[in-house]
Amino acid sequence: MMNVAYFPGCSLHTVSSEYDKSTHLVCESLEVGLKEVEDWNCCGATAGHSMDHELTMGLNARNLAQASLMNIDPLVIPCPGCFNRLKNTNIRLKTFSSVVREEERSMKNPPQELPRVMNLLQFLIEVIGLERIAEPVKIPLKGLKLAAYYGCLTTRPRKVAEFDDPEQPVSMDRILNVLGAETVLWSHKAECCGGPFITSELSIALDLSRQVLETARHSGAEAIVVACPMCQLSLDSRQVVVGHDQVLQPRLPIIYFTQLIALAYGFPIRRTGLKSLFINPLTLLAKKGLA
Amino acid sequence: MEDNIYTPLNLNDIDDSIQEEIRTKCGIDVDLCLECGKCSGGCPNGHIFDYTPRKIVRLVKLGDKETLMTMDALWICLSCQLCLDRCPSGIDIPAILDYMREKACRGGVEASRPRVKLFHELLLSSIRERGRVSELDVVLKYNWKTGEYMKNARLGVKMLLKGKLNLSRSRVKETEEVRRLFEATIAKDLP
Repeated sequence: MMNVAYFPGCSLHTVSSEYDKSTHLVCESLEVGLKEVEDWNCCGATAGHSMDHELTMGLNARNLAQASLMNIDPLVIPCPGCFNRLKNTNIRLKTFSSVVREEERSMKNPPQELPRVMNLLQFLIEVIGLERIAEPVKIPLKGLKLAAYYGCLTTRPRKVAEFDDPEQPVSMDRILNVLGAETVLWSHKAECCGGPFITSELSIALDLSRQVLETARHSGAEAIVVACPMCQLSLDSRQVVVGHDQVLQPRLPIIYFTQLIALAYGFPIRRTGLKSLFINPLTLLAKKGLA
Repeated sequence: MEDNIYTPLNLNDIDDSIQEEIRTKCGIDVDLCLECGKCSGGCPNGHIFDYTPRKIVRLVKLGDKETLMTMDALWICLSCQLCLDRCPSGIDIPAILDYMREKACRGGVEASRPRVKLFHELLLSSIRERGRVSELDVVLKYNWKTGEYMKNARLGVKMLLKGKLNLSRSRVKETEEVRRLFEATIAKDLP
């Protein structure tokens, strides 16, 4: 049994609770204890760094301070947005000690030894490893043809993420392959889904998500697999709201990679949160004898 | 702004204060730009930017603060980090945009996309209030302020039915500690 510090972030407590749930199932099977960071706050998301760099630094210095109190390494983050903000701050705090002192003054619990910050995909590949991920597989995902979609911040910018190849990432493909699924080669693995503008500039968001969905379909994928709450929401909701779905039929389910691992590990469908997705993946899974 | 921003420069005529500011405050040296254009070629929104990433770097060299603070690109950049990753000199263009946007906001410059700015502000005030974001609150306030009361209503209902909107509103215990972080920032006086 190994323990890691866990930063769920706002989305995993609300719009993407199925990502949180399935992450817990996967880690339980791999004997990884997720210890949630006590009293964590929002990372500031796009709004934070867009409007105020000091605020973003402050919010995440507090998060890192809270995490450092636990004395557990590494700090694992499923949301690439939170991962990017926390790791950015982590690098800055380590590089510029003057910033640390300034931030410390406003904090009840100033940061101790800073933990390594890793995204969930990175943790599973680099710390747990493919062999151990493959061990608990009970129901191989045979016959599923999937497009692994990484989006922006899982691998970019490379100086911050320090993970996989930012242009042609493969880590999620490898995991899906050891589960028994086939993954397609496609061009939009690491293109932006338009998520940041899903509320305020819908036409921009729709244009970008359409490109991702269309290329995935052209490559022969039956579903898109994601590791980001924002990618999931923007690609999934884009297909169910009237007026947005003229282009694409039939619809492509947008599934978290952790949900597919949990499925392959033999957890019952109701525990994987697969029913919480807008585009119901169960029809596809039933066709392959997986549900 | 000149019609052709690539006309040769007379260096003596140029105000290099913004280039210096970006060098010292952000640690970014735009003199390293090779003008290869990979940043603009990869930019997912480049086709709708009034100034492409490559031109933005050029604007810094030209010392054109006004354009840098009023351009539309400032508000429709996705922060996808592609331009930074493809730049052979590692010029952090998204950080230049963040810096100029913040400067524009502090200076009271009107945003070309007020809705994008409004959404950011509502998100930040949700964090100030609870330490965490409540999507439901942010979207409801956004609809109220923009007068589009029914926008995303269908999606909202679907999300409620799927249990995706948490009505219990998770929050930080030490909210005062989070609020203090807002004191020195432009987010202090948010509605």
